[in-house]
Amino acid sequence: MEEEVVRNQYTDAQKQEIFDMEFMPHINAMYNFAYRLTLERDDAKDLLQDTYLKAYRFIDSFQQGTNAKAWLFRILKNSFINDYRKKSKEPSKVDYQEVEAYYNSEDVDRQITPDLRVESLTNMIGDEISNALNSLDVDFKTVIILCDLEGFKYEEMAKILDIPIGTVRSRLHRARNLLKEKLSEYAKSMGYKTA
Amino acid sequence: MNMPDMNKMKQDCPNKQECLQLLQSILDGEATAAQKETFMKQHLQECMTCYQNYHLEVAIRGLLKQKCSNEAPEELINSIKEKVIKNLGQ
Ligand SMILES: [Zn+2]
Repeated sequence: MEEEVVRNQYTDAQKQEIFDMEFMPHINAMYNFAYRLTLERDDAKDLLQDTYLKAYRFIDSFQQGTNAKAWLFRILKNSFINDYRKKSKEPSKVDYQEVEAYYNSEDVDRQITPDLRVESLTNMIGDEISNALNSLDVDFKTVIILCDLEGFKYEEMAKILDIPIGTVRSRLHRARNLLKEKLSEYAKSMGYKTA
Repeated sequence: MNMPDMNKMKQDCPNKQECLQLLQSILDGEATAAQKETFMKQHLQECMTCYQNYHLEVAIRGLLKQKCSNEAPEELINSIKEKVIKNLGQ
């Protein structure tokens, strides 16, 4: 990360230890993030492997005892943007900008009030929630993964994503509204009363 | 949380989105103790909209955790470890 000007000179044994003890324990969370971003098993594997090899290559800029998980997630997110985003199945640039403009407008929160009930969620025992999450635009699904699945704090998310904390907060709020909107569509199509 | 008296609750919240944002920051562990206290012990007891939102937010988080995790394939983990060992000393 930019603020880390300190370069360590770890020995091979130390590198191996950091890799095994601090990086590897996050491999399942990292794989899940890679899979949710790319939506392809093969791309997820490549992205994960690239990320871990990159992490190893830049291990001297990792400060032992700091948040390895946040450091790794940031590398994965940047690799995805640089190497995979173009070929992934996300909406084209134009669609994306329209979506972003729409969801950044001031009064949009007042229009989206998904009517969803807890009872219809308890009937979603299949892939509904997973599909709903996957269907969200990358920026929106990312904040939900980081916060609700991985338990990152807003401040950590701001660093991982290179955005201000206020943006983390509002993007999360919008992402959750969008997720509820999706879930309420599923609930309707399943024939459950939503309101 | 105490079980609120449903009959005495307001049905509609005048600050629905603002309350929802506050509720989310409480559940995310990002609100102050005072915000949490006021919202959970007072507002939730008297506002049906927010009371329902609270349970919905909790249920969605539970469902996400339960349904949206994947484990890395064993052979991928091994191949990453192998490649790193090969890189040692270079
Ligand atoms: Zn309320």
